[in-house]
Amino acid sequence: MAESIPAPLIIDTLKDTFREARAARTAEGWPASRHDFLGWILSVPDTHQKTVLAALDKEDSLRVITCATEDEAATMAAGLYMGGEPVMLMIQHAGLYASVNTLRGVAMDGKIPMFYMIGLLSREKDKDPKESRHSMVRFAEPLLDTFSVPHARLEGPNDVHLIPEYYRLSRQRKGPAVVLVGLETI
Amino acid sequence: MAIKPEEALKAIAAARGNAICVPTMTTSPAWREIAPDDLSVGCVGFMGGASAMGAGLALARPERRVIVFDGDGSLLMQLGSLATIAGARPRNLVHLLFKNGVYHTSGSQDIPGGLTVDFVTMARGAGYKSAMAITTLEEFKRKLPELLTAEGPIFVELHTSLADQTPMTARGGRSFPDQVEQLRSKLLAAR
Repeated sequence: MAESIPAPLIIDTLKDTFREARAARTAEGWPASRHDFLGWILSVPDTHQKTVLAALDKEDSLRVITCATEDEAATMAAGLYMGGEPVMLMIQHAGLYASVNTLRGVAMDGKIPMFYMIGLLSREKDKDPKESRHSMVRFAEPLLDTFSVPHARLEGPNDVHLIPEYYRLSRQRKGPAVVLVGLETI
Repeated sequence: MAIKPEEALKAIAAARGNAICVPTMTTSPAWREIAPDDLSVGCVGFMGGASAMGAGLALARPERRVIVFDGDGSLLMQLGSLATIAGARPRNLVHLLFKNGVYHTSGSQDIPGGLTVDFVTMARGAGYKSAMAITTLEEFKRKLPELLTAEGPIFVELHTSLADQTPMTARGGRSFPDQVEQLRSKLLAAR
């Protein structure tokens, strides 16, 4: 049975992920950034991950930019990547559906690493998403499969290792990679 | 008399210094002829994305100016980017809007509202540091040095005629992923 993940565990994992990304950035030869936070989180606020967003509000080591749309989040992420900055997106499944052309045109065709955390809002605890009565839950994984976007699901605290793994995967394959947040974070 | 887009682009090319430029749609073919360098990345294939992409570059590289060459039809596709950019406060971003009132590439159909849409008021209301309309090439050339040094985000609505070419009549140029890699490499090498 799926379990909710505490926000502090996700925040700590994101910090570790960005620390690793900054080390890789330094090894690549990028100069020190003119800021002292670890990385950028581009968010269109997701109800499913609201405890994480609330915790991020108090977190100085991660810079959150709230975007009006997921299209903007993806294109802004592309700009940050080109400029050598570690970045990720935090959105909801509805935002994935809304921004499919940008996912295709920027992350896929542009071969730009883009790591997403996508909340499966309204996903039933006792059901596989494929069996959800909500189309927005049911179609997220098939949509990612259609576009050959690698994805994994966070089904509990033991799965947070997937966050750095899929961040790295987005960098290795130069394209999008997604972790879906199975249940609402706590 | 409306500004000829190619003339505005030539003025920018002469004054830009080490600025990163982000053309989109009808400025793309002319820009690759006027400034065939690897400090530019064009946005074609995801119309509307230039403003936020430029903002991302500006946030990542605060030591450089970033100049977006947006279109009015393009900006309408991600109009919320005005508020997103104002909220993110990239101090080194210049957002130039080449306003011609039409979707030139698809056959010059009017954009919603045509030339009556007031993007300056929208940018100002969204919270840009400054926003203005410029209607002549002479005025643009006169203000360009200040636009390249003043605190941003700055929004400029340039009243332009149609470009000579569109991405459909002048295909070619480097692929988007090549531009991405070359810009990234150039920025890395310039450390």
